[in-house]
Amino acid sequence: MESLVFSILALFLLAGAIGIVALKESIYSAMSFLLVMVAMAGMYALLHQSFLFLAQILVGVGAVVVLSLMIILSINLRIENLPSQQITPKKIGFVLTMVAPIVIILFYAIGKTDLSFAPVSQEFGGIKLVGSELFSHWVLPFEVISILLLSAMVGAVVLSRRRLDSDS
Amino acid sequence: MTPENFLYLAVVLFAIGLVGIMLRRNLFVVYLSIELMLSSVNLILATFARVQGDMGGGIIALLMIAVIAAEAAIFLSLIIYIYRTTKTVDSKRITKLANQEEK
Repeated sequence: MESLVFSILALFLLAGAIGIVALKESIYSAMSFLLVMVAMAGMYALLHQSFLFLAQILVGVGAVVVLSLMIILSINLRIENLPSQQITPKKIGFVLTMVAPIVIILFYAIGKTDLSFAPVSQEFGGIKLVGSELFSHWVLPFEVISILLLSAMVGAVVLSRRRLDSDS
Repeated sequence: MTPENFLYLAVVLFAIGLVGIMLRRNLFVVYLSIELMLSSVNLILATFARVQGDMGGGIIALLMIAVIAAEAAIFLSLIIYIYRTTKTVDSKRITKLANQEEK
C-alpha cells in the first residue's frame, strides 16, 4: 500500500517538475509548482513527519504558491513579451554535460549505500516531539531564522516600494 | 519503498531544477526551479530523519520551509522591481549592472 502511494506521489512530483521546466507560459509552470508542493507534502506524510506535512501545506502551498500565482497573474505577461526560447542542440548538450555527471555520481553513491528505515514510535514527527526538540537543541537556528525572516520582510518592502524620486 | 527510492527521486528533482535554471530565461521559471531544488533537499532531510529515527532532520527541514518562504518574498519582489524598471522578465536583458561602466 505504501509503495503504491509512493509511486503515485513520485509520478506527480516528476510530472510537476518537468512541467515547471518545460511549459511555456509562467502560469502553467506555477500550477505545476502547486502539484509539486502538494505531492511533496504527501511525501512528508509518508515519511512519518506529520508536523512537516502540516507546515508544508500551510506555508509551502498556502503562502508560497499562492504568492507566486498572485504575482504572475498581476504582472500578466503577454506571450510575445516572454523571452523567446530557442532550445538548440548545443544548449542541451552543454546542460547535459553539466548535470549528467552530478546525477551519475549521486546515483552511484546511493546505489552503494545500504539504508533502511529505523522503527519509530507513534509520536515521531508529531507536534509534541518537534516542539520539545526545537526549543531544546535547535534554539539558535530558530532565532537565526526569525532574524532572516525579518530581514527578508524589510527587503521585500524596500524592493517593491514605488521609487519616489531616485529612479526617474 | 526503501530510503534509496526517496534519495533517487530527490536527486532527479534536483537535476530537473538545475536544468531549468540553466536552460530557461524566464525569471519565473528560474525562481520555480530554485524552489524545486530547495524542496528536493528538504525531501532528503526528511528521509534521513526517518532513517536515523532522529527528529533533527525534520527540524532542519522545518527551518528550511521558513527559508523557502523568505526566499519567495525576496525573489518575487525582485521580479516585480525588475519588471517595473525594464518591462521584461527575460534574464538575458537584465544588464543594468553590466553596462554601468559605459554610461
